Amino acid sequence: MSWLWRALAGPILWAAMFLLVYALHGAGCNLGWTDRPAPIADWHHMAMWLAWGAGLILHLVLIRVMPAGRGRPRQLITMGAWIGFVSTLVTLFPVIATSTCA
Amino acid sequence: MTDPQPQGGRTIAPMDPMFDPASDVAPNAPQRALALHRQLDRTWSDEPGWRGFFTSVNHGTIGLRFMATSFVFFAIGGVLAMLIRAQLATRDGAFLDVELYNQIFTMHGSIMMFLFAIPMLEGLALWLLPKILGARDMAFPRLSALGYWCYLFGGTVIVLSLVAGVAPDGGWFMYVPLADSTHTPGINADVWLLGVTFVEISAMAAAVEITVTILRCRAAHMPLTRMPLMGWYLLGTAVMMLVGFPPLILGSILLEVQRAFDWPFFDIARGGDPLLWQHLFWLFGHPEVYIIFLPAAGALSTIIPIMSRTTILGYGAIVAAIAGLVFLSFGLWVHHMFTVGIPHMALAFFSAASALVAVPTAIQVFAWIGTLWDGKVSFRLPMLYVMGFFITFVLGGLTGVMLAMVPFNWQAHDTAFVTAHLHYVLVGGFVFPMLAAVSYWMPLICGRWRVRGLGESAFWLILIGFHGTFFLMHLTGLLGMPRRVAVYPNNPEWEWLNLISSIFGMIMSAGFALFAFDVVMQWLFGRRSWRNPWGAPTLDWAMPVPAPSYNFASLPGPRQPDSSALLPLARGEGLLPGAPRDLRETLALDAGSGRPDHVAVLAKSTMLPLFTSAAIGSFFGAVLAGIYWLAPVGIVLTLIAGWKWGDIMGSTTDHPDVRVAPGLTLPLHWQTRNTLARTGTVALLLADGTLYASLLFGVGFLSVVAPAWPAPASGLSTLPMAVTAALALAAMAVGLIAAHRAEALRDRAAGTTWAGIGLAACLVALVALAGLALGLDDPRRHARDALRAVILGFAVFHGVVTAMLALRSLADARGGRTSWARRGAAPIWQLFQSFWLGTSAVSLTLVAAQEVLS
Repeated sequence: MSWLWRALAGPILWAAMFLLVYALHGAGCNLGWTDRPAPIADWHHMAMWLAWGAGLILHLVLIRVMPAGRGRPRQLITMGAWIGFVSTLVTLFPVIATSTCA
Repeated sequence: MTDPQPQGGRTIAPMDPMFDPASDVAPNAPQRALALHRQLDRTWSDEPGWRGFFTSVNHGTIGLRFMATSFVFFAIGGVLAMLIRAQLATRDGAFLDVELYNQIFTMHGSIMMFLFAIPMLEGLALWLLPKILGARDMAFPRLSALGYWCYLFGGTVIVLSLVAGVAPDGGWFMYVPLADSTHTPGINADVWLLGVTFVEISAMAAAVEITVTILRCRAAHMPLTRMPLMGWYLLGTAVMMLVGFPPLILGSILLEVQRAFDWPFFDIARGGDPLLWQHLFWLFGHPEVYIIFLPAAGALSTIIPIMSRTTILGYGAIVAAIAGLVFLSFGLWVHHMFTVGIPHMALAFFSAASALVAVPTAIQVFAWIGTLWDGKVSFRLPMLYVMGFFITFVLGGLTGVMLAMVPFNWQAHDTAFVTAHLHYVLVGGFVFPMLAAVSYWMPLICGRWRVRGLGESAFWLILIGFHGTFFLMHLTGLLGMPRRVAVYPNNPEWEWLNLISSIFGMIMSAGFALFAFDVVMQWLFGRRSWRNPWGAPTLDWAMPVPAPSYNFASLPGPRQPDSSALLPLARGEGLLPGAPRDLRETLALDAGSGRPDHVAVLAKSTMLPLFTSAAIGSFFGAVLAGIYWLAPVGIVLTLIAGWKWGDIMGSTTDHPDVRVAPGLTLPLHWQTRNTLARTGTVALLLADGTLYASLLFGVGFLSVVAPAWPAPASGLSTLPMAVTAALALAAMAVGLIAAHRAEALRDRAAGTTWAGIGLAACLVALVALAGLALGLDDPRRHARDALRAVILGFAVFHGVVTAMLALRSLADARGGRTSWARRGAAPIWQLFQSFWLGTSAVSLTLVAAQEVLS
């Protein structure tokens, strides 16, 4: 079963990041973080950027450390890790550009 | 005249063996195949006559029943579709009045989704999985039967409501406030909420046992990374069902409680929000599309290489694509809500995910096309339906990408364009592959070959009829025709498109009728099929046709790796030959490696599933009728049935290990800890945890989005309430300790004492929870108070289940059903006790945080 967890680690991290950033988005709008200036943009954007960036770094770590074994099991773990990375990169990309609470 | 069977009979060798090449199990000595068959058939067959109909738990019988019943509901849904098309054929259609039209389109969608598509895939999975994985039955045969009876009873009530004129009429996704008691005062909406929830018991039951069967009941030494792709597809489906259905079940419970008791979860004036219903519904609703698609794709991945006389291209890429689909499909649900006023950034998250999910789908489509390209395609009937799938599903996928783009979605939302898209996806992605699957596996189902010509005619009628109906509907939608209108007197430009759609709709219906006729003809009059008529390598064809009740006389292993081992398996050279103990035995494995772990003894025919579903149904019936005082009787009956369920599971003696093969002996499941039941409980608690997480999502969502917050001051912040809550948690913790001690000391008198202590601790905790209930604010006052009551109800429900398990463990200990080797129900009790304690602690923390922050 440890093989299955390794293969699914990337997608699971994506799910967690998606949940975290979506929750930060909702909470920030409700708590008025857009009105609090930060060194760059506002705290709402900063919080989401930090979460997204940290998530991408964690994904890269998974890509590096998760693959184990040989042959097809190793390939599947590697593919799973990349699926997670690309999913987080693409689906949370809007935190870069889009307006937040409008 | 029958269709000629494929000539040559050459079996395709799988490119990669399905078994671990490094493993080996010595073969058993060959025996007389007929004697083995008689012995096994005596043990595994259903009882004769009507009693057999009600008591069967065999996966072959139950799976076929699921599929046959789902086709009956499909026919009913199809007749409703014909009524809809008749009404829309002209702009002033007077065929149906608006009230009846509302009921009919609601029932059409609900029947096709909940009474056809999901049960059909469940039926296919139940019937096929043990065969293709090399097992004798599903992991929990009684659960299969329970699911079927719940499906049959619930589905029948839903359909009969149409006859009585009280069918649901708010659309198949039952949006509030339309579906609340103010706007739908009759029982129409209650029929949907309670009926669908009752039916979904079968979905949850199927999901648990599909998961456990794939993880634990494959052929010996078949690792996950080598199992047939169908296993991967159904594993993905089952996990999605475990995570996808609980939000719908929770939403249905909340809406029914609001309708019955005026608790304002969706009432915006009292802290609720109708959008919460939409979130909960689509958290289920969008993954549902993939829940339906994945088994169909599994059938395609099985059939395409065989019909192309080659092996599947890109096994690893397909497995990765399945994993990607399973996860990504849970990040799309908001694309059904693009027009409700959600902030742009949230829209963008879900738009990006909606576009991205096309990638794993496309990977599979390219793998199938590559397989076709690589092989020599034989255009037999299953292959025709596969071609129908390609044409239809790819078009549906492309319009799906269009709808994933927010600006286009805003324009096309709630128009006939969306109706066309969803039918392209669902008929293309599910119905065509299922028709291919039925055509392909019919010889294994009935042992006969089909009658020539009928099937092809049905295929062309369905294909032409479908595209004639729904392709034009894209145009109707782009011209602005909304969904669900009964008449359109001021829009003559829509009329000719609708008329043509209606004509082709009738052609499609004729095609489905001809398909059904073809199946009946094959079953009754087809020529005897020979074994493995397609020359397939998979284990489902390593058995006689029609498939016997026990599937395999001996179970496949590394030396019987594919369908070519049909005769050695029939002679008992595989693992665990025959049924010398007159027990329904199958192998249970280590989940990852496929190493044999123990021999699971499965349940024999019993009335218990029927009684249990009747008990659960009596609860739903009482609530539906509004006789709330009678509902507790249903709960008590269900508890009694549950007790009986466990009553026949244990053993009062230690059994010797069973010889599975030369040099390989294994214990029976009573004498192991890592049983199938334990894995099943983990799967069930995954679903349970998702339901709880959905409840927490509801609290969070209303807290930050609903306008009538903050909630009024509560009366909970008192010392007696805090002490009572702490007492409840402490008692649960004591119960957890007791559950572990009861297992550790199971062969001594102290084990019985600890089981008693655990039961007492559960009862103390339940009393404390009841005390907390007395101090709650009126749940009708505000959504926060209502949600707190639901959270408490969640804890009480799990407390009752945990107490039942503690009582079961006590009875096991006192009844001699535990020993050093036999652990009884304690491992299951521990899991539930941990879950109860964990969720209750989170709930208490949440309420405390609300009190502190308010």
